Amino acid sequence: MKIKTGLLVILGLLFIGCGKQAPVPGVTDTEILIGNIQDLSGPMKELGAVLPAGSRLYFRYINEKGGVHGRQIKMLVEDHQYNPQKAVVAAKKLIEKDQVFCLFQVIGTSTCEAIRPLLAESGTPLIAPATQSGTMSDLSRPAGDLIFHTDTGYDKQTNILVDYILKQDANAKIGLIYQDDDYGQNVLKGAAEAEDRTGVSIQKEAFQRGATDFTGQVGNLIKGGANHVIIAGVVKEPIIVMKTAEKMGYSPQFYGTSPTMDHRVALAAGPAGEGFIAANFAHLWNSDAPAAVQYRELCEKYEVPEAYMGMYHFYGFITAKVLVEGLERAGKNPTRKRLVKGLETLNKWDSGAFPPITYSSKDHAGTESVILVQVKDGVQTVITDWVD
Amino acid sequence: MKGRYEKENLYWIPLLIGFIFLLPFLLKYATFSYKYYLFVLNIAGIYIILAVGLDLLSGYTGLISLGHAAFLAIGAYTSAILVDQAGLPFMMSLIISPLIAGLFGLVIGFPALRITGMYLGLTTMGFGFIVKRLIISLREWTHGAGGLEVSSPVLFGYTIKSDWDNYYLIFTFAILAVVVGRRIGKSKIGRAFMAIRDSEQAAEASGIHLAKYKMLAFFISGLFAGFAGVLFAHTSHFISTDHFDMMLSIYFIIMVLVGGVSSIYGAVLGTLFIVLLDNLFVPQLEDWIHGYLNTNTGDIQSLIFGLIMFLFIIFQPFGLYGMWLKIRIYWRIFPFNPRKRFT
Repeated sequence: MKIKTGLLVILGLLFIGCGKQAPVPGVTDTEILIGNIQDLSGPMKELGAVLPAGSRLYFRYINEKGGVHGRQIKMLVEDHQYNPQKAVVAAKKLIEKDQVFCLFQVIGTSTCEAIRPLLAESGTPLIAPATQSGTMSDLSRPAGDLIFHTDTGYDKQTNILVDYILKQDANAKIGLIYQDDDYGQNVLKGAAEAEDRTGVSIQKEAFQRGATDFTGQVGNLIKGGANHVIIAGVVKEPIIVMKTAEKMGYSPQFYGTSPTMDHRVALAAGPAGEGFIAANFAHLWNSDAPAAVQYRELCEKYEVPEAYMGMYHFYGFITAKVLVEGLERAGKNPTRKRLVKGLETLNKWDSGAFPPITYSSKDHAGTESVILVQVKDGVQTVITDWVD
Repeated sequence: MKGRYEKENLYWIPLLIGFIFLLPFLLKYATFSYKYYLFVLNIAGIYIILAVGLDLLSGYTGLISLGHAAFLAIGAYTSAILVDQAGLPFMMSLIISPLIAGLFGLVIGFPALRITGMYLGLTTMGFGFIVKRLIISLREWTHGAGGLEVSSPVLFGYTIKSDWDNYYLIFTFAILAVVVGRRIGKSKIGRAFMAIRDSEQAAEASGIHLAKYKMLAFFISGLFAGFAGVLFAHTSHFISTDHFDMMLSIYFIIMVLVGGVSSIYGAVLGTLFIVLLDNLFVPQLEDWIHGYLNTNTGDIQSLIFGLIMFLFIIFQPFGLYGMWLKIRIYWRIFPFNPRKRFT
């Protein structure tokens, strides 16, 4: 008797097990699970908590509205400490153990590059990697068809900046200060393209990641006579470069790639940073763009602490919008393939913050334009529309 | 001389090897996410090979190295370039790449003839930075800081692709590394190493050629690390300079210290302990803590890790292997244990 009951129970459990088994990883009738890998305790930990918080803000809004096709969005965040090896471990955990539907917003270039083989092997899409490296949208690389880039690449940004400079001043002598790593290499690629296209020659000065002294580079630029200088740094570098130039009595027009587009640059550089022009791949969080208005409303509604609000939090918010749009387009029964197909139907789609996004099976770059933001009287002011 | 080997109790080794080869099947049976666990074990396996080499250098010879990630990088990059760009078969690269890493070991062995202790640590650390810069500046082959894609290993016409295959490849060599490491430790060379560690003057007086043996220690250690590097490159399929930062070198030293120096087994235990702790237990513990405290992932991960290290080194200065030896002796002389010795 007991054996029979036991067998029945086991059989019953087996059937339940079969019935419950989700055909698509990470998707149940009520929930979509996505994975996010951030730098929470490494060199970029300031961004690590802020980016997903911005995304959570939008997910919360969507979830309270009833979710995507009736499914709530749930996001798991892992830490990679900006180490590619750890990023692979984290991605493996999310994909194999937690069974996420897709990856989202993984930060860093080398970390995203490192998880490419894993994405290709498991067929997991990665939406909106949080890096502006143009290599992300290279379809010839492994998993290129699974990665959807939202930001305008550094190479493209450099091209746009050079064009902008030449439009202002046809006889411009252009200098470039770049970080000697993967970021800088992508900038150099853009600079080389611009040189080929326009015929100007750009004076290039490298610095090591983490450098705090730029006297040598600025001195060389003075010797070379550059009167327009592009700084491909993050936040600290443009501040120090501009202050050093001021001390050395050198006053070219300074430009910066998107990572320098932080309000702290204007604040810390003071008078030396006046007139600094930075490229940005999205509207400012405090602008009148529709997504920015919605963002500020939601921040108020959900009582987001003021310390969080800003460019990076907003970036998390708008990339979440892209993901949600993709999930909407993936249909009522989403699969990873349908998500890819859904995103590839985006055609000049207006997120309200990014330039119009277009994806196709031959193009995963999404956007190719930037706005230019200039520091005027210590305040960042948008001076152009989308330029490409 | 023969007695030395006979004294050691070896009957459990075939059992252990059998277990290692059965483990993937057990994992597959036990959990549907076995691929993830296999992946973590694969990392541990690669690091075991390196840790054995580091134990021979730091544990046996007493020469500290804070730049071992650099040897790993040399092995990895050399193999990636040889196989993918020069078209050499993986088998050849498996022999040549470690040798090149070993030659770099000889180079760094030169300054080690004159400096010891903390200064050697600093020198090797500097070596780590130099290698990183070298990789970035050899753009033509290494793609600079952008990183390098690496092909899968091909052995006897069979392409090794999955985590499952990688596991067997890596652990075959890991077992081999442990056996070879253990043999070196017990050979004339190993005894010379230990003599140098305990007293350089005494060693020299007994006819040990200091320069020769110190450089040999660096060479062997580089060889092991280079070997680990080859496996690392071809099983992770992507390498960049960010992989081989200084923290990794410090982790390696911690692995050897936590396991217990100059026993080889200690290095294995320490590596397993650290890798599993870092990748499995700490995240799990942290998830558990999330249930009670409102924290974000990453907030306390380093804290927990540091705390465990801290307590471990205070209470078990001889490492995991030392702990095991103590337990063994405790039971052997039970119930006649002298008090206070086994606390």
